[in-house]
Amino acid sequence: MATREFRLPDVGEGLTEAEIVNWRVKPGDRLAINDPVVEIETAKSLVELPSPFEGVVERLLVEPGELVPVGTPIITVAMADEDGEPSTGDGEPSEEGPAPETASAPASAAEPPADAPRPAPVSTSVEERGHAGAMPTLVGYGPVASTGQLRRRRSRGGVLVTLPAPGEARAEPAAAPSRPAPREPGAHRPLATPPVRRLAKDLGVDLATVTPTGSGGTVTRDDVTAAAAQPEAQPEAQPRPQLAVEDGAARESRVPVRGVRRATAKAMVSSAFTAPQVTEWVAVDVTRTMKLLDRLRHDREFADVGVSPLLAVARALLIAVRRHPDVNARWDEDAGEIVVRHYVNLGIAAATSRGLLVPVVRDADRMTLPQLAAAIGEVVASARAGRTAPSDTTGGTITITNIGVFGVDGGTPLLVPDQAAILAVGQVRQMPWVHRGRVRPRSVVQLGLTFDHRMVDGELGSRVLADVAAVLEHPDLALARA
Amino acid sequence: MNETTSRAPATQPEIDPETVQLLTPEGEFSAHPGYPDRPDPDRLRTWYRDMVLVRRFDGEAVSLQRQGQLGLWASSLGQEAAQVGSGQALAPQDYAFPTYRDHGVVWSRGMDLVELLPMFRGTSLGGWDPNRHNVHLYTIVIGAQTLHAAGYAMGVQRDGAVGTGDPARDTAVITYFGDGAASEGDVSEAMNFASVFNVPLVFFCENNQWAISEPNERQTRVPLHRRATGFGFPGVRVDGNDVLAVNAVTRAALNRARAGEGPTLIEAFTYRMGAHTTSDDPSRYRSEAEVELWRLRDPIERVRAYLARNGHADEAFFAEVDAEAAKVGARARRECLALEPPAPETMFDHVYHEPHGTLAAERAWYAEYRKGFAAGGVR
Amino acid sequence: MAEPTSKQISKQISKQISKVSMAAAINTGLRRAMDADPRVIVMGEDVGTLGGVFRVTDGLRKDYGDDRVIDTPLAESGIIGTAIGLALRGYRPVCEIQFDGFIFPATNQIITQLARHAYRSEGALRLPVVIRVPFGGGIGAVEHHSESPEGYFAHTPGLRVVSCASPQDAYWMIQQAIRSDDPVLVFEPKRRYWDKAELDEDAEAPPLHAARVVRPGEHLTVAAYGPMVRTAMEAAEIAAGEGTSLEVLDLRSLSPLDLETVVGSVRRTGRLVVVHEAVTSFGPGAEIAALVTEHCFHHLEAPVLRVGGFAIPYPPSKVEHDYLPDADRVLEAVDRALAY
Repeated sequence: MATREFRLPDVGEGLTEAEIVNWRVKPGDRLAINDPVVEIETAKSLVELPSPFEGVVERLLVEPGELVPVGTPIITVAMADEDGEPSTGDGEPSEEGPAPETASAPASAAEPPADAPRPAPVSTSVEERGHAGAMPTLVGYGPVASTGQLRRRRSRGGVLVTLPAPGEARAEPAAAPSRPAPREPGAHRPLATPPVRRLAKDLGVDLATVTPTGSGGTVTRDDVTAAAAQPEAQPEAQPRPQLAVEDGAARESRVPVRGVRRATAKAMVSSAFTAPQVTEWVAVDVTRTMKLLDRLRHDREFADVGVSPLLAVARALLIAVRRHPDVNARWDEDAGEIVVRHYVNLGIAAATSRGLLVPVVRDADRMTLPQLAAAIGEVVASARAGRTAPSDTTGGTITITNIGVFGVDGGTPLLVPDQAAILAVGQVRQMPWVHRGRVRPRSVVQLGLTFDHRMVDGELGSRVLADVAAVLEHPDLALARA
Repeated sequence: MNETTSRAPATQPEIDPETVQLLTPEGEFSAHPGYPDRPDPDRLRTWYRDMVLVRRFDGEAVSLQRQGQLGLWASSLGQEAAQVGSGQALAPQDYAFPTYRDHGVVWSRGMDLVELLPMFRGTSLGGWDPNRHNVHLYTIVIGAQTLHAAGYAMGVQRDGAVGTGDPARDTAVITYFGDGAASEGDVSEAMNFASVFNVPLVFFCENNQWAISEPNERQTRVPLHRRATGFGFPGVRVDGNDVLAVNAVTRAALNRARAGEGPTLIEAFTYRMGAHTTSDDPSRYRSEAEVELWRLRDPIERVRAYLARNGHADEAFFAEVDAEAAKVGARARRECLALEPPAPETMFDHVYHEPHGTLAAERAWYAEYRKGFAAGGVR
Repeated sequence: MAEPTSKQISKQISKQISKVSMAAAINTGLRRAMDADPRVIVMGEDVGTLGGVFRVTDGLRKDYGDDRVIDTPLAESGIIGTAIGLALRGYRPVCEIQFDGFIFPATNQIITQLARHAYRSEGALRLPVVIRVPFGGGIGAVEHHSESPEGYFAHTPGLRVVSCASPQDAYWMIQQAIRSDDPVLVFEPKRRYWDKAELDEDAEAPPLHAARVVRPGEHLTVAAYGPMVRTAMEAAEIAAGEGTSLEVLDLRSLSPLDLETVVGSVRRTGRLVVVHEAVTSFGPGAEIAALVTEHCFHHLEAPVLRVGGFAIPYPPSKVEHDYLPDADRVLEAVDRALAY
């Protein structure tokens, strides 16, 4: 004999529990379908539950007065035979039971039970509709009891579920592939998330020239920082929307470039060509400058700022730039012009834990020496502390890279994009030097100037370097040349 | 019963003289000057069977809800005469707009009552094709269907299916609604449209005295059938528990409509013996005494009494009907238990008849999403 | 299909080519539909004898009769409810809601009944009902006559929502809406009713729900519908003089939205501004912004910006032009987007 449980249903659209008030049957009683079984009290009303089963009452599982949640088994019934299967499609017409109690409150008698032979059981219990281990499905309204068996996602992140790209949805609504939207063939717009775009802008990196390594052909943050750390000349392959004529008209003059082959701007990713870079060297006796720096350190005006060889080199470069403004330029591919800038945003290359950064001292040419010292000190300290904002690294016009801090004498620096020259400064060393006809230990430093040979020819580059060297060797020249 | 809502019973035992009645609660025939109908034994036996079977189906559904097999059921207990009497007056080409309690109307249209179960079990929102039996889907938004009926009747007019004299062609429309629904603006708008355009529409108000917990007095100060006068067409009140009178009055109104004489309002004065729905507890707002009062006016009992007293039916007949009722109940149970929830993907079907891009994209997404679950992991 | 260029149009000598107002174009479209299918019915307040308060249904009652052009009682819920009944009986009703602000009494019938009959009947029933709604502001009207309620209905599954921006589109769309077996709401920009343009009655119509690039551009996409398409075009003209190339997209349909065209445009330009008269907060632009952000994330140079009505009831007519988006408001958003 199969035993069935009757579980407390939700009788009122969202009720969660009920109190057993009064059993109408006891173990051993015969039950027909719809016979009143129990009275329950819910938050809304007193309700009589009719039996879903035909059989013999086995056990009453809940005491009168007990409050139980919906879904709790309240009674077990031994079924008349072993057929426990739901009778769908059974087609058996002989199941009969008494007319169900139809009044909503315990009240008058139902119609008299038909005097019929005991039929085969027909109904199935609520819980048989569910699955093994699951609480019974509460049909219709009401909160669904928490299921014993939860859904399980096969894998998280394994399947990228996105709305199919438009066009795909239309063509095959039934079989949409879940992959990220493909790049349109021939599209020339670089793909990147907004934060990466911002970073690129701040670092002065043209996304179109960066090789993307992200999924879906997107440029990643690492791609951008890597591109920024290697300041190769980035040709302008992508026209940018020109909002208006650049407002630096008063600060720049333009020199038309004749006979220059324009790079084509079809491919957006790989750079068309690299600026021809030439490096020249000079070794300089900076003993006098070092002595000057010592004196300055005790000067009241420099009391709060750092005074270092870098400061002297910066000043010397600024003087040289003033004498040779053409070195403070950039290559404007689209316009076919070299843009000479009449202001100097001096980049100071700094090694940081994030990699190489080139924070910029704006309008360095207009600063007094104490101001310059303070500014340089500030940017270097910020860079070392990791506080450099991306906006601080944009707009440089010429750069100094102090490789001396690493204990090397010199190197061939590479140009920062949009600049014509970069000056590398090695360590200041005591070296034997011919001074006034004799070999004496002197403070010597190696300077290396790399310049873009499209804009700066050998003579100009040499003169710039020589000027820097001259001021550093004879700092009193700064008085004549400042 | 909640004492703060104690009130005199909604109705008095004596009949309002305005109310049309042909069979008394005791089962005596009482002629009415306005309606020549006489009790016809064949038809009364048929209607008796109809009402018993409808009542049994309805009762089984209530039980099934109590057993957790239906989420909800709105019982028609006590209103069988109003529904069967009117429903059986309809011609095949007529069209009915029911509420959500009109199981006796659905039965009379020839539709299998088990087709009502899916929407109360939660496997469908309706689901049957109204054009098969000319009975519309159940409308849950109160009173909304009365406007649909008015519009449908306007369409019947434009089809030229009114006043031709051909009983197979002339078409009437009937719309059912309750006393509570009569307060909805849509019902007044429907009456106005129906009147202004003189459409072939019968408004059938089953005044079962209660709109959930609110009695008639809260819905109207004037007997509902008198509203028709305000709109410009006849209104009549009939004893809603008298299947003979209901049938007579409805037939007359339908004939008026078919003849092109316009709408009629029928107020069937009856009683909701059960709760508003299985979620309701009437003991909180009405007395057992009132229910008892109406039990004495039971629609089925009076027909049984008439048939038995006049020798038009014997115990064998009644037993046969009861046996058939038991089968109806059992079949309802069987069919209900067999209803499975639809596959989730089908929820995207039939929102539109023509392709819709947004929906198509969501359907496709959902299909992919489902694939991400372990096989066999279902709720 | 390509929109006929003005050159093509002027070449044609057919007498069907002429400059007509949008209102007249809709009238012509209605006539074509009523000629094509005798079951098409026009119904609404004052649509018959008067020809509609905007004269859109002018002359229809005289030409098609009382049975097909119905002056209804003053009851919006009644108009839509009875239209549902007529549709159940096999007719194709074209309802007019006299002004946008008066659609609300009909909202119950539209949302709980019209939108759901197909679904409720599991496909057995179809309600080919069209609801024409003159909408939008800028006409100096009193309260409730300048609303943009299209968002409520675009949000309702089971309905289709479209809006015409030109006489040509109005002519096409009313006919296509009538031919659809689904319920369609057609929002007609009433302040553009008197705009005149070429109408080619024989030109092939694009799909009802297709968006269209009405002005190609490079730097930023402006998406609009209804009355704001002309506003967007004005803004584009001004921007062009400043060196900015705006692509103007006429969405034409909100439900469904032609996402493919929108995404294609934004992937080219990288920036999007959505313009509508409807209140911005929880408005149609928010849905478009969310979709575009999802589908164009890596292409976006700037967040999607929306230009729309403020979170206030439509204000008195004397200040409505400070409320309504105009070219300046559009360009302000364009500038903001370009500054990113």
